[in-house]
Amino acid sequence: MRGLGVKAARVAIVVALFAIWEILSRSGIVNPRLLPSASDTLATLGDLLQRASVRKDLAVTATEVVTAFALAVPVGALIGFLIAENRYFADVAKPLLFFAFSIPKSIFLPMFILVFGVGFAQKVGFGFFSTIFIVIMSTTTAVESVKVEHLTVARSYGATPMQTAFRVYLPSMLPVLLEALRISMIFNLTGVILAEMYASRDGIGHQIATWGENFQMKQLLAGVLMIAVIAITFNELVRWVETRCSHWRT
Amino acid sequence: MQPLANITPLKPAGAVEVRNVGQIFKTTTQDVVALEDVSLDVKPGRFVVLVGPSGCGKSTLLMMMAGLRQQTSGTITISGAPIPEPDPNRVGVVFQEASLFPWLTAEENVEFPLALRGVTKSDRRARAQDALKLVGLDGFGKRHPHELSGGMKQRVSIARGLVQDPPVLLMDEPFAALDEQTRMTMGDELLRIWAATGKTVVFVTHSLTEAVYLADEVIVMSPRPGRIVDHLQVSLPRPRTYEMLSGDTFGSLRDRIWRHIRKSA
Repeated sequence: MRGLGVKAARVAIVVALFAIWEILSRSGIVNPRLLPSASDTLATLGDLLQRASVRKDLAVTATEVVTAFALAVPVGALIGFLIAENRYFADVAKPLLFFAFSIPKSIFLPMFILVFGVGFAQKVGFGFFSTIFIVIMSTTTAVESVKVEHLTVARSYGATPMQTAFRVYLPSMLPVLLEALRISMIFNLTGVILAEMYASRDGIGHQIATWGENFQMKQLLAGVLMIAVIAITFNELVRWVETRCSHWRT
Repeated sequence: MQPLANITPLKPAGAVEVRNVGQIFKTTTQDVVALEDVSLDVKPGRFVVLVGPSGCGKSTLLMMMAGLRQQTSGTITISGAPIPEPDPNRVGVVFQEASLFPWLTAEENVEFPLALRGVTKSDRRARAQDALKLVGLDGFGKRHPHELSGGMKQRVSIARGLVQDPPVLLMDEPFAALDEQTRMTMGDELLRIWAATGKTVVFVTHSLTEAVYLADEVIVMSPRPGRIVDHLQVSLPRPRTYEMLSGDTFGSLRDRIWRHIRKSA
């Protein structure tokens, strides 16, 4: 019963936010030219999704995001694993990684444009760069979450290094890795869209930047909603998998 | 009951021989002597308990018997051969709490040693069932560790240690994390399982009562450096009963161990 109440309250908050948005705009408390009403924005969103050009932009962004992610996650995971497995590497590299992680990645964007030019490689490159540090750091944490007791058990029953990797390391690390995947995607999406907004010929980030520059508030807000929904959907998908193996954490 | 019926033939119990074993841990500042000139004989089928305060090296010695750690000097043989690395065919190990894999069910945990060696799924399942039945967990195979009590988890650990029918079972403070009542019950259960399988058991504990209650022989160790200070034969008849705890024999044995330990503490 309580769970149901909580869910109802959440829905109510979202509905209320949209209602306030609608009222602020319709009543003229906020200039409707600055803040078009929620209903108008949603109508625009439906309209935009019909357009071939917008669909093409979405496809471009999706390709960039998926490519950057597919490169950053395995490479970052491998580096993170090697660092965590070697005491010396860990001691040497960990503080450096923390330094690198603390630098805002956006200041490197002009360099990516200079090196890769404006296009696919620049955005994938920047997405990769924005993501890899968090993947490396999360993987190190995941490796450290493997219990020594479990490794000793595997060793006492004669497990080969391969068996230990797949039967102990991987399942021990999976909950932390899923969490890492989720957070990495947030960084990845941010990186790619930022790169698109900064300098690009296509992609949904580029569109949003253009709408903003041209004062097309309805389209701009619709674009914001679109990306919000995509990001939330991915996030929830991974969270759903996470809860399915929550008992692994014990 | 037919214990471990699917594992035929049942391997005979094994002997453990420890000869002049020493262990030195090197630290940056100094060398710490963890074990010094330790020798002991465990005859096949015996229940031997290593007892002593923390730091006396009893767990270290057990890990050496398991092939998980190598001694600096001396020799250890299991069933007549040295044990340079873990050999699940000769030695089964039961660890302290929290050694079960939380992502596997009870029966998958018991099957784990078999799965490593490519035993077929159906054979594995049958042997795990037998082992779980032996430890009194028939019908709990599909549960995950977090759905089991502390005592039940340790039963699963024992089943896992026995599933390959090793001639020697090594137990490293397996009941240390359990509450007093569960601990007593598990002691009785372990003795029943031991009687049913006839394994050689080497059991490490820091509980004097547990030591005397379970053992044929108690080896008392003292720390800095870790060495054997006494070797007691427990003449109490079997099966052991709760009433024996208040008897004179039990009391004098426990006092004798306590005097050694107090001296070294």
